[in-house]
Amino acid sequence: LRSEGLTTTPRRLRVRNRYGEPGIETEFTVIDDARHEAYLAAGGIEIDPESATAAEWMVIATARAIPDGAFLFVGTGLPIAGCMMAQHTYAPNAVVVMESGVVGPKIEHLPVSVGDARASFHCTTIGSISDLFGSVATRGYATVGILGGAECDRYANLNSLSVNSCDPAGGPPRKLRLAGSGGANSIASLADVVIVMMPHERRRFPERCAHLTSPAGSRGRLGSCEERSRVGLYRGGSALIATDICVLRTETEGTGELLLEALYDEREEEEVYRNTGWVLGKSPTFHMMDPPTLEELKILRCIVDPTRIYLGRSRKR
Amino acid sequence: MSLRGERKVRTIGVTDPSGRNKIMSAREAVAEYIHAGTCVAIGGFGYTRLPMTLVREIIRQNVSDLFVTTCGAAAAMECLAASGLISRLDTTYIGLEGLQPVANSLRRQIEDGDIEIIEEYDNCSYSARALAGRYGWPFAPVMTGLGSDLMETDVLLGAGFPQRPEDGRCVHDSIPPQHHHVIDDPFNGWGLRPHEFRDGDTTGNETNALPEVRLSTRYTNRPGVKVVLVPPLIPEVAIIRAAVVGDEGTVRLEGGIWGADNEIGIAARILIVECEKIVPEADLRYAPEANTIAAHCVDVIVEQPFGGYPAAVPGYYDYDWDFWTSYSQLNRRNKEEVKRWWHSYVADTEDDWHFLATRAGRENTSGHGSIGWERLFELRADATYGYRPQLSRPLPRA
Repeated sequence: LRSEGLTTTPRRLRVRNRYGEPGIETEFTVIDDARHEAYLAAGGIEIDPESATAAEWMVIATARAIPDGAFLFVGTGLPIAGCMMAQHTYAPNAVVVMESGVVGPKIEHLPVSVGDARASFHCTTIGSISDLFGSVATRGYATVGILGGAECDRYANLNSLSVNSCDPAGGPPRKLRLAGSGGANSIASLADVVIVMMPHERRRFPERCAHLTSPAGSRGRLGSCEERSRVGLYRGGSALIATDICVLRTETEGTGELLLEALYDEREEEEVYRNTGWVLGKSPTFHMMDPPTLEELKILRCIVDPTRIYLGRSRKR
Repeated sequence: MSLRGERKVRTIGVTDPSGRNKIMSAREAVAEYIHAGTCVAIGGFGYTRLPMTLVREIIRQNVSDLFVTTCGAAAAMECLAASGLISRLDTTYIGLEGLQPVANSLRRQIEDGDIEIIEEYDNCSYSARALAGRYGWPFAPVMTGLGSDLMETDVLLGAGFPQRPEDGRCVHDSIPPQHHHVIDDPFNGWGLRPHEFRDGDTTGNETNALPEVRLSTRYTNRPGVKVVLVPPLIPEVAIIRAAVVGDEGTVRLEGGIWGADNEIGIAARILIVECEKIVPEADLRYAPEANTIAAHCVDVIVEQPFGGYPAAVPGYYDYDWDFWTSYSQLNRRNKEEVKRWWHSYVADTEDDWHFLATRAGRENTSGHGSIGWERLFELRADATYGYRPQLSRPLPRA
């Protein structure tokens, strides 16, 4: 990181990637404790230095889920923090692609948008949006998609276009407009696996989405429950939802619904159920996730999101 | 009656066919080509290479009732919407990225019906539309949108689309007759990747449910591999920002992010390019492979250094983070107040030289207080990165 004056060869730490290829080890930069302490002191940030906040958990769980060597198609917003964390830790060989036209950048500073010049640093080529969706995504180089969303239903269908709000005064429900698909529908349609980053709030996990913007799972909307191949989608069908309290994963055989795959804190199991709009089952491979290590936290705080653009958000639960 | 080829509609050269110089001021360009109701495609992506000089000139001239189309320039759309100038929108995304998940003025005006959403696509379909517009194709095939509610917003069949008069022409020349059309792939999915090579395909993707999708009967009521055809994007005017443009019109976007600028620029009836610098054509023609839009496609060239502010032009300057964080607080005020604010911020400046000298940085609540050229100088890009790595990007305290 030339711009931050890190000219000495950084110490590397070997780690095992728990979701990637078994036995593959990657290594990542070790941040000096002094730098971490200075960071915490300078920003006036009131967090426990050694344990993760909810937002930090979400980014770290995402990075851990990304296999090294994946072609990562990254959506705008929070997913950029997830992909940058993965590039700096578990998946240094992942090829990042972004809809703005970027292929294979080495991101050093957190982009605030996929259209930020920070997202194109040292990329192999820049193309147009149609180049990217054509020669990369449709052609067959979007193995893992990372997305955000406003709603996620029982079958990992995502909504980022509009929701209905109830009038507290008892008036008729009103349609609230959200950001729209952007590249989300395209990524969910064309990637093998979709990782979704969302805070775990009940309003975000309804049984059925108000608008099915991006089909990330294997089934269509509740009621029709159509398999994705039956509507013509030839790729994908598995999704992993990394929230700030747990990881959900689609069941690939059978119903295709989301199941609880991992929990960060066993005291929060009830909270997961309380904040999910359907009766959530447990995966046969359910496990407690190892807490973030100090090394992960230091990289996340000192390199990935030093001004807490994404980490600073409060939860509404 | 002229011979074939004699009547030149557009040409390479310093002048347009009527003999007028292609180089104009932003004021002349907007007065000439952008009127109430015009369909304007906006280039740039996120906070990068937004054609802000022209956006501000539109606000100054108060050209209302615009029909705006873009897939990446949500921040520029927000500025126009907040000023009360957009009445129709054909787009994919209206967020201010990390700073405001949904751009507030756009959201409010869509919800209140001030802005009519004409069409709703995903970025793959939209960029394919732009590509079809660029190549003069009657449509472009995509494999996205299937199974989603985006396919149900077929605006002709569903709610919200303007009525089509009896003669079959749409109410606006830039509105296509149909949102999409689904066909069965005549080659039955042979080309979908990964392909069935005897030794396996080398492509990254592993899933291809070809046998199952061949049985799909959705949309066409018979088994077959579904392909979505989308209509071309044919805007009346495209406004884009490039780093440099030759004096005959050759465009070199340079660096950073391209978005769909080349596609919408070539697809449009009229292309207005604003740039950091106009250079002699010869400078660009020594390395034509780096140029992205041919000179004959360009109708108007507007030179305005730093005119992309408060967005970034990679290699030249970074975005003004403090402006956008301040603005994302400010646009929560009521509609009229936000509109008045835009007026005091932009509309009472004479031109962009005046704007940049007096307004850049003025509204920043979290910066160091530098205004005008001093602020712009603070944003200049680092040569290694093309942006400003040391740019402080704090979030406002909620």
